[in-house]
Amino acid sequence: MRPVIVVHGGAWAVPDALAEVSVAGVKAATRAGNVTLMRGGGALDAVEVAVRTMEDDPAFDAGHGAVLNTDGEVELDALIMEGRTLATGAVSSVRNIANPVSLARAVMEKTNHVMLSGKGANLFAESIGVPTLPTHALVCEQERKEWEQYKNYDIGVKELFRAQWAHDTVGAVALDSCGNVASATSTGGIRYKMVGRVGDSPVIGSGGYADNRSGAVSCTGHGESILKVTLARLILSHMDRGKAACEAVERSLRYMGERVQGGGGAVAVAPTGDWTACFTTERMAWAAIHGGILHYGLNPREKFKETLK
Amino acid sequence: MLPVVVVHGGAGHIPKDRAEISYVGVKEAARAAYSILRSGGSAMDAVVEAVAMLENNPVYNAGRGSVLNVKGEVEMDALVMDGRTLASGAVSAVRRVANPIRLARLVMEKTSHLCLTAEGASQFARTMGVPEVPEESMITDYARMRWKKNLDPDTNPMECQTGKMGTVGAVAVDLEGNVACATSTGGMTNKMEGRVGDTPCVGCGGYADNHIGAVSSTGHGETIMKVTLSRLILFHMEQGTYTGIYRSVEPRINEPSEATLKGGPTAGLTRQCQARGL
Repeated sequence: MRPVIVVHGGAWAVPDALAEVSVAGVKAATRAGNVTLMRGGGALDAVEVAVRTMEDDPAFDAGHGAVLNTDGEVELDALIMEGRTLATGAVSSVRNIANPVSLARAVMEKTNHVMLSGKGANLFAESIGVPTLPTHALVCEQERKEWEQYKNYDIGVKELFRAQWAHDTVGAVALDSCGNVASATSTGGIRYKMVGRVGDSPVIGSGGYADNRSGAVSCTGHGESILKVTLARLILSHMDRGKAACEAVERSLRYMGERVQGGGGAVAVAPTGDWTACFTTERMAWAAIHGGILHYGLNPREKFKETLK
Repeated sequence: MLPVVVVHGGAGHIPKDRAEISYVGVKEAARAAYSILRSGGSAMDAVVEAVAMLENNPVYNAGRGSVLNVKGEVEMDALVMDGRTLASGAVSAVRRVANPIRLARLVMEKTSHLCLTAEGASQFARTMGVPEVPEESMITDYARMRWKKNLDPDTNPMECQTGKMGTVGAVAVDLEGNVACATSTGGMTNKMEGRVGDTPCVGCGGYADNHIGAVSSTGHGETIMKVTLSRLILFHMEQGTYTGIYRSVEPRINEPSEATLKGGPTAGLTRQCQARGL
């Protein structure tokens, strides 16, 4: 079984100024996840490493680089799931943690629960020695300036921004050499989101899903739309019925566009090793490694290749 | 054939001495919801009304009567979903609100978001003029008794769910053929602070789609989440994998303390709506 890892840095209208760092970021994350797989690490380890790499990268809206809610604070969501046992961990609206995906994994491995939210999630982090960072350590100056600039606009304008703004959730899926799949997704949400807003990212079946029988998916895009159609689970239901990963994702995104007028993207891998990265937004930075080849892209229908040294 | 409403008061081990009052509450809620539907009210109005009644009834684990978290506090989750538009509203880990289901509906109708959690949900409640209720008014002696009993570190987390009913919920089809679902809970007794179960997660605690049907789930939350139970049931109904609603539910019931109810949107689907407690 040849391992596969596929990573995305968010489906949205990535501005030209961020194009290069976004592509560099997903490539670095994919390489890091691939190293884990090549050393015999499992799919779960690989997706965690890949997502941590992007959480540490201020180019993406997850961990470092998160956007601010309407109160000027950082609230983070993450989900991780492994396909053999369906074990899952998630955190929603957790404050000021550098690596929410790892905290989500700790929920999965150290508690009897699947999801912790808000203050409870932070208390758990504290109890296992995960440090809380000051907001300024996670939010870049540019984000703070933009937030300041727009905070005095009325609700209507803020709503407009919420609808249009960055959906650069990050995520990864992997298939390891034992045939196990896993999925991980992490986000700082949307700028000016209401305090306590929970999007699709930490919600199992929407932001991501993994099942050894069907495959693994990580989604990105307009969170509310993704939730309404339980996008990750929808994609896997098509794969369950024998559709190729690419067709499953395309169909599901098309349905989401038609039924609830939402845009987005997803990465997916099947137990056979079939994989895809598709999106209906203007851009999505993505990268994948399979069979010693690094694939990547940003714009629609783009697919570049590099041989790994 | 229409309208239809199905209500549940939670799957779990219901002791004999609580059986009678369990029957009374769900029957009352179903009657009230049906009355709304018969006079042309929407499926959404009906399910919200049914669940709000069960939240107000201290016998059930939702609203007043909710189980307590490990700190002895009440944290509640709720979800509504409209099958026509797939619009949805949810609150998770919300405190000191008498009717989380009504707050979930407000999230759906008054915000551009689907889910608000914890302090954010309370903040929103305040802006909507939803009164904050004292926590004491929501805590019953029964809930407190269960909590104390399970503080003992030797208690088995799964076992401690017995003797207490789970989540409440309702599904309905109105005279126009629209479906809706609503689910509400105090969660799992002695849960960790901030623990969110299946209830407020779209596709887990409930799902509604006019093209297929509506489901509200109850049982062991973490297990329901892992299989996205409500969405899974509707996948089977959509494919006609099993004949009728009853059979779609059956294969899913292989976990302890799990039961689901649903209603289909068309006259063609059987009216066999089954509640099972294991």
